[in-house]
Amino acid sequence: MNLSSVEPWIILSFCSVIFFIGLFGVMIRRNILIILMSIELMLNAVNLTFVTYSKQLAHLGGQMSVFFIITVAAAESAVGLGLVIAMFRTLKTVDTDQIQMLRE
Amino acid sequence: MNTYSLIKPELLMLTKEQMFSLMPYFYMFVGALFTIILSVNKKLSPKWTVFLVSLATCLVGISTSVARLKIDTLTLFNGMMISDTYSHLFNIIFIVSAGLTILSSFRYLDKEGLQHPEYNVLILLAALGMMLMTSSMDLIVLFISLEIMSLSVYVLVGFRRADRRSNEAAMKYFILGSAASAVLLYGTALLYGATGKTQIHDIYTFIQTHPQSMSPVFVLGAWLVILGFLFKVASVPFHMWMPDVYEGAPAPITGFMTTGLKAAAFAAFLRVFVSLGYGSVLSETIQTHLHHILWVCAVLTMVVGNVVALTQTNLKRMLAYSSIAHTGYLLIGLLAGPKSDQGYSPMIVYLVSYAVMNLGAFGVLTLISTRDDGGLNLNDVSGLSRRHPWLAFSMAVFLFSMAGVPPTAGFLAKYLLFYSAVQANELPIVIIGVLCSAVSVYYYLRVLVYMYMKEPQGSPMKSGFSVWPSFVVAAMVFLTLQIGLIPGGILTVARKAMAAL
Repeated sequence: MNLSSVEPWIILSFCSVIFFIGLFGVMIRRNILIILMSIELMLNAVNLTFVTYSKQLAHLGGQMSVFFIITVAAAESAVGLGLVIAMFRTLKTVDTDQIQMLRE
Repeated sequence: MNTYSLIKPELLMLTKEQMFSLMPYFYMFVGALFTIILSVNKKLSPKWTVFLVSLATCLVGISTSVARLKIDTLTLFNGMMISDTYSHLFNIIFIVSAGLTILSSFRYLDKEGLQHPEYNVLILLAALGMMLMTSSMDLIVLFISLEIMSLSVYVLVGFRRADRRSNEAAMKYFILGSAASAVLLYGTALLYGATGKTQIHDIYTFIQTHPQSMSPVFVLGAWLVILGFLFKVASVPFHMWMPDVYEGAPAPITGFMTTGLKAAAFAAFLRVFVSLGYGSVLSETIQTHLHHILWVCAVLTMVVGNVVALTQTNLKRMLAYSSIAHTGYLLIGLLAGPKSDQGYSPMIVYLVSYAVMNLGAFGVLTLISTRDDGGLNLNDVSGLSRRHPWLAFSMAVFLFSMAGVPPTAGFLAKYLLFYSAVQANELPIVIIGVLCSAVSVYYYLRVLVYMYMKEPQGSPMKSGFSVWPSFVVAAMVFLTLQIGLIPGGILTVARKAMAAL
């Protein structure tokens, strides 16, 4: 199968669908681990967008950016999981509905 | 591979002059690494070595930045970074606030049993991220430096690991902050798709050459970038994270966030906005569109921030809402900028004075905070004037400055900001702003009433006096009054920074 025959707009709309699934996941889901996964989903959708545009525009900058974004995403999930563990030790939950000490 | 236009490595070479411009960043980075290495050395006492090395790093960083303040604009790394008066002025703000945070946290960390070397390392790295953020001229570099800053600050917010509030604040900040960063990044990706570039200068050229043909992809991308920035500066529809984070974070870190983080977000916002042609090459329709958005955001931010602050009894939460209100005033500066003679220099003056008074106010809060500083509320300061008259006096100066009472820095900054808005024919928003700051006097003065007119409550603090935080507070009182009375120096620097932008 010749991959380059796939129209860019199909991939790009696919990316935007993934991105918004991630965004809604962050807003709707209640489990922190799922929320972390949704954030990763958003970043990966951005990566795919960059690669597609890079191919379409014949410009290497987009593919370069992807490496940096992957690195940042890895650092972000490391920090996120660390915070989840610290929070689980004190609050004994990963459900965002149970976390509401800081209210007006 | 020859279908791709290759990136030439020789474009990234640096001349000697450019190397010197990179020195502040270099020293901060090396200082942070050196601090990590020293902290594992068991022979030296890590507490003192780490403290002194990180302070020395800040001092070297400040002096190199001051030395570069008067130098002409230089672009670095083929236009991905820029070194001008604007970036170096903000570098000084960030490093000073990092240094003063380290100074005022020293005793606090002892008191809370949190004396870990990572604290200072993370503050240095966060400051480095802020510095890179204001000098980046490429959206990818901007994103990476934003993440360097944010990731360090997420950990700092959750630094009191045994405390539930701190954990909760860190988690909330992490989730909302990374989602906002991802939105900003998606905006960047779409802008890249529409223009083929990530460098701000190239996007500017693109807008200039295609003034009328804004593709939907470009518009959506620009929207997402603006949304990301409005989140980072905590403008009203996106402000919900700020009170929670400010309340849960350790007191010195809250101080660092109000000064460093806010100034960094605004500085980068202003840089990107102006470099993308806000007020110059953008077409009339887009200009009015942006103007409407900023107008609504500014009004909502001022009103919500000030009104909600009225009902707060927790001091850190109250200052968080006041910080939201100040974001609103700063947004007035952003929308008045293109049409007034002074440009954006009132914003710069405002950010400097705001940083000064907040560092001081949070220095005082750090000094009076007891073990559970998440619950630092009005009763904790009642009768402060009897126990610590100087501390109460300094807090009074900072609160007057935040409310905008002469002869303090806050008054001067607010006056300049509103004056520039009047020049730009923005009378309605100036009236709303003045009314809002009249409302704000109520909740600032309430703290004063508690400090001066109520009897002390509870047991007196055990560790009343410590040298470093007191030094910070005294220096900030001096600066607040100095900027208010003799503003010449800061005005000149702000104009010069503005001209470089």
